[in-house]
Amino acid sequence: MEGETSAVNIVETPKERKGKAPLLAAPPGGSSSSKAVPVVVKPAATKGGYRRGLAVFDVVLRIAGVATALGAAIAMGSTDQTLPFFTQFFQFKASYDDLPAFTFFLIANAITASYLVLTIPISIVCILRPNATKPRVILMFFDTVMVALTTSAAGGAASIVYLAHNGNSDANWPAICQQFNDFCQKISGAVVASFLSVVILMALVVLSAFSL
Amino acid sequence: MKAGPLQLGVAPPANRGIAILDFFLRLIAIVGTLASAIAMATTNQTLPFFSQFIRFRAKFNDLPSFTFFVVASSIVSAYLILSLGFSILHIAKSNLVNSRVLLLLLDTAAMGLLMAGSAAATAIVQLAHKGNNKVNWFAICQQYNSFCKRVSGSLIGSYAGVVVLILLILLSGLALSRR
Repeated sequence: MEGETSAVNIVETPKERKGKAPLLAAPPGGSSSSKAVPVVVKPAATKGGYRRGLAVFDVVLRIAGVATALGAAIAMGSTDQTLPFFTQFFQFKASYDDLPAFTFFLIANAITASYLVLTIPISIVCILRPNATKPRVILMFFDTVMVALTTSAAGGAASIVYLAHNGNSDANWPAICQQFNDFCQKISGAVVASFLSVVILMALVVLSAFSL
Repeated sequence: MKAGPLQLGVAPPANRGIAILDFFLRLIAIVGTLASAIAMATTNQTLPFFSQFIRFRAKFNDLPSFTFFVVASSIVSAYLILSLGFSILHIAKSNLVNSRVLLLLLDTAAMGLLMAGSAAATAIVQLAHKGNNKVNWFAICQQYNSFCKRVSGSLIGSYAGVVVLILLILLSGLALSRR
């Protein structure tokens, strides 16, 4: 082709931007339809900087998430209040396994806490290799699934806690919190902690999105 | 491709496939969430007997969790309809990063909201079906059959919406990792 200089025509692939593959040079007079221009390829090292910072923040958030999810599970699991009076017909003991929603809440928060603990090593790998995308995508997917699980547990328990505080006159469901004060405080605190861990998990998904 | 001192690689054609799949999944999610919001909002069952003191009509806004569910489902379906525009943009231009990240964030928030609403409604539906002896809450489904069936069915659509939203988030992540 006329007018072509003898400069090397380099097309930079994503792998080269990440510093993984050697630069490939197209043969001179090759079939590329673009102009032949001297190419300067920016090294990928500067891009790793902000990714590494985000990955460190990711580990910190994971540890915080373990604390909140575990706190929620323990707060719910340690509920056991017995009122100091009794009759033949009514129950005066309240514990988390009286309501299936709370049992599910406990199990789901325990799963979330153990998931977060298990993914701390993967997150540390992401600190050491800031330009790797596969662990990031895997972490993001599982974090999203965990957001769904934790939100379902927290939302379900929240609606039961709301009922316990306010009752529902249309369905003739009495507000049990007026009697079981301590139980109610614990379950409300557990729901709050669980929503905190939802927020932390969402922040983890956002972090993964920014570092992809 | 840009000509100049730095030639960037073109986004792989798989990204366009991902964008098309994203668009169709969004359509499915819109149908699911909209159907479940409408099914829950149109519940109204009146029992054929009455007394002076007790109400014998069941509607979704008798229970605040169901109200929250309807509101959350409607917000998420409105968001999904609006995000169809972004989806079409990504089909046309597969290289955009910022709008994909924004879509990912908003999808995550929408998924959280929809899941919270679905979970709240599910907890109440479970109570309505089974009751709970220990806190003296009796099972209202034994009387309000059609109300219960409708409410339980509307949950299916919103859970399908949650699953689709999770897939959408995964697709956005995959598309972002391939540039």
